[in-house]
Amino acid sequence: MRRRQGADVLPVTLGRRRLYILPTGAGVAFGLLLFLMLIAGLNYGNSLALFLTFSLSAFALVAMQQCHRNLLGIAVIAAAAPAVFARTTGAVHLTLANPASLPRARVEAAVAEMAAVAVDLAARERQRLELPLPAPTRGIVRIDRLRLATAHPFGLFRAWTWVHTPIEMMIYPRPHGVLPMPAHGGHKSGARSRGGSDADEWLGLRPFRDGDSPRQVDWKAYAREAPMLIKEYSPAGSELRLFDFAQLTHLDTEARLSQLARWVVEAEAHGERYGVALPGVLLPADRGPEHRHRCLAALAVFGIDDGLKHGGGAPGR
Amino acid sequence: MAAAPQAADGAALRSLAWACAAFAGGVLLNLDRVPPWTAATALLLIAWRLTTERSGARLPGTPARALLALGVVAVVLWRFHTLNGLAAGTALLVLMSALKLLETRARRDQFVMVGAGLFLLLAACLDRQSLVRVPLYALQAWLCCSALAVVASAGCEGRAALRLAGRALLLALPLAVLLFLFFPRLSGAFWAIPRGGEALTGLSDTMSPGGIVKLVASYDPAFRVQFAGRAPPAEELYWRGPVLHDFDGHTWRRASGAFHLRQRLQYLGTPYRYRVALEPTRQRWWFALDTPAQSSDANVLLTYDNQLLGAEPLTEPLSFDALSYTRTRALEPLGAFGRQQDTTPPPGNPRSVALAQTLRQRAGSDADFVQATLEYLRSGGFVYTLTPEALGADAVDDFLFDTRAGFCGHYASAFVTLMRAAQVPARVVTGYLGGEWNPIGDYFLVRQSDAHAWAEVWLEGRGWTRIDPTAVVAPERLRRGVFDLLPDALATRERLLRSSAWLTRALQRWDAANAWWSDHVVKFDYSAQLDLLGRFGIRYPDARYLGWAFMLALLGWLAIIAWHIGRSARPAAPDALARAYTRLCHKLARIGPPRAPHQGPLSFAEAVTTHRPDLGGSVHALLARYAQLRYGPGAPGTRAQDIEGFRRAVARLSLSRAAGGRH
Repeated sequence: MRRRQGADVLPVTLGRRRLYILPTGAGVAFGLLLFLMLIAGLNYGNSLALFLTFSLSAFALVAMQQCHRNLLGIAVIAAAAPAVFARTTGAVHLTLANPASLPRARVEAAVAEMAAVAVDLAARERQRLELPLPAPTRGIVRIDRLRLATAHPFGLFRAWTWVHTPIEMMIYPRPHGVLPMPAHGGHKSGARSRGGSDADEWLGLRPFRDGDSPRQVDWKAYAREAPMLIKEYSPAGSELRLFDFAQLTHLDTEARLSQLARWVVEAEAHGERYGVALPGVLLPADRGPEHRHRCLAALAVFGIDDGLKHGGGAPGR
Repeated sequence: MAAAPQAADGAALRSLAWACAAFAGGVLLNLDRVPPWTAATALLLIAWRLTTERSGARLPGTPARALLALGVVAVVLWRFHTLNGLAAGTALLVLMSALKLLETRARRDQFVMVGAGLFLLLAACLDRQSLVRVPLYALQAWLCCSALAVVASAGCEGRAALRLAGRALLLALPLAVLLFLFFPRLSGAFWAIPRGGEALTGLSDTMSPGGIVKLVASYDPAFRVQFAGRAPPAEELYWRGPVLHDFDGHTWRRASGAFHLRQRLQYLGTPYRYRVALEPTRQRWWFALDTPAQSSDANVLLTYDNQLLGAEPLTEPLSFDALSYTRTRALEPLGAFGRQQDTTPPPGNPRSVALAQTLRQRAGSDADFVQATLEYLRSGGFVYTLTPEALGADAVDDFLFDTRAGFCGHYASAFVTLMRAAQVPARVVTGYLGGEWNPIGDYFLVRQSDAHAWAEVWLEGRGWTRIDPTAVVAPERLRRGVFDLLPDALATRERLLRSSAWLTRALQRWDAANAWWSDHVVKFDYSAQLDLLGRFGIRYPDARYLGWAFMLALLGWLAIIAWHIGRSARPAAPDALARAYTRLCHKLARIGPPRAPHQGPLSFAEAVTTHRPDLGGSVHALLARYAQLRYGPGAPGTRAQDIEGFRRAVARLSLSRAAGGRH
């Protein structure tokens, strides 16, 4: 199927060529019932029984159309899985939109073969669904495709389609451990060189990244034909810590990663500046959600070949 | 979170209730066909199942259910002596489906219940096809389809399900009609099915005084007749049914096993061509006007006593064309056997025999004797009543000399007895007399209440001659029908119905609708289908062409349905604002990175500003204006102008690529 329709770039509108439809078990049974009714009606030469049979047959065909139409034209706007900690349940956040004036009912979305989540979409409505995805161990779960299906309105037919959009869910190590945070100032970030006069401490300049506010851009430097830089400040009194993998000698790898994850989470929660040192990886001290993610992600994929686990099922190691 | 399981329970209960309703509807439709205990068991089980679902009691386990199922089969076998046949099959279906209720946990089981509801609807259709039941059948089909919707998605509200199913059924109707008209029918049957032997109201092949009164009280239609040309006058509307020869003193019977050749007849007077639409009688004879000239069907025998006798009992409504005369003359003498059969007087009744012999001796001929007997009945103080006294062992003597009160059966019986006592061949004919003219449908409606009995007498030189002794005693019976003569208790409803012209008219309309339904829908069979195709110019329908035509019709209907249904599934056309915004985004994409799908106008503005700070002001303002128009609280009065202004501003915007070189 994937070969036929290729990978999808969101947003995707579900067209006729990618919708499949087959009778459900109930639909097959219904067909059998209709066949028996036809035989009985023909045998008795009973007009009313035949008319009933034909009405129900036509009804089944209408049901097929309605089922197909219930999925047709739905737009998959976005699909992403935010990072979560191990031993929790993550979710694929899927945004579906109904661009048409026709309300859609019981559209079921599912990650591969897992249990589906059903949603009703009113006319021109857009909704975000959360498809649960278990995250037992650290790493990255990659999902190749999502399934959208519906048996609405009569459960006689089931229309479905696959949306081939790769989604990766980062699973951080479980924040766990009882050791106290290491003392301040183990290593200092090189940028901390100049004292600021105001309450916020001047930290330095760093390259522009997507999402930075234009107000933080150093426009004067830019005017001097320098690359676009961001001025960074830190609140007064913030601390600086380095969490080093190598110093936790008495624990095994997973326990160490869990301990480090816990420190990262706590340090970020207290607004401190922190860095992480792993064998072969050094994340210099910084703070903010992005830094936190970088640190936790480094912990998540540490020691895993490419960090990837395929499929939508329970990721195992 | 706490409310979630409760809501799920509510949905489960709703879906179970709908499945039960679909099944109960099927049971109710068959209420008058299955034995009462069957229906009662099913309805009780439904009620019980619904209460256990509410209270959460345990359902019986597998061994108990298996035992119950075996028990049900045994009981049905015991009561019906068979599992085959519509009545036993329906009863079995009702009971087994009711047992299925004991294990309806999964959605699949509920589908099965809905299927049972549909199957019971089929059984009801096979059993009765009258127009008055059609709305019930339609309701049941609607109920079952709605139940499918509820069972399929437990969250579906009942009202929404009804709407969904109703809409789907309405869309299905055109195809259903097409299929009904053109789906090839069978000219025969795959297998013969034993039909229920329940007696229907109607004439039987015996007549005893009192038997006809039951019919007279019935307002049901017996058959309808449409004449091709002029209709006979009312006093000629004698519809021949069973002709009875054997009389044991109490009951008249058809001749046992006698077979005679039909005499050649000379037909006199007007030929009447007409079409009879019979209601099912579960009897073999077909009713025709007085003396039919020929059999209308290879399977129907025209007997020596002018009955039309079918090969099979009539279980479905049926129509046939016939040609009849009301006056005939025999061209051959009466055979010895026939004479012997129709001159055998009943045992006993000495006074009647004496009377007949006296009258015969006084008369010059058989014809005079007939007249003298009729005169005796006319002047003898006889009374027409539908509530006569009971008669003793010599029934004819008691009637002629003691009670002197009776109705058509008594008079025909006594008259024929008198004839036979004088060695004049005579026989009793039962059938119907008259009929109500329905001006809406241009036909005569003959009801069970028109049942009648008269006599036929063999007169030398003329052959069998119809004599109606009742007409002599109660001439008004012929003119006005029987209702005015009925005792009050029997005819309250009918009197009421006939009391107003408006009501009579409404009844006639209803009957015409029934006749149409019966003629065009119920009796639409293989030959009617050929007729219909012939009307389209297809004289010799070839299965292949029919198949192609059928496929084309099916595809055409599918296309129309797909168009109709798909119409609303297409996204709406973008409005002027959306078009202007798209144009703006295209323009901006030429000078920098295009807008990502997830980017709103404001974040896109920031991205553009970052990329091309020189454009920051104008583009940012434009995108902010779009965001304000699209999402902000706009002033309704000026909205159209604002959108137009935005469109113009977008059109005026010209962006140079040059500044983009710096990054």
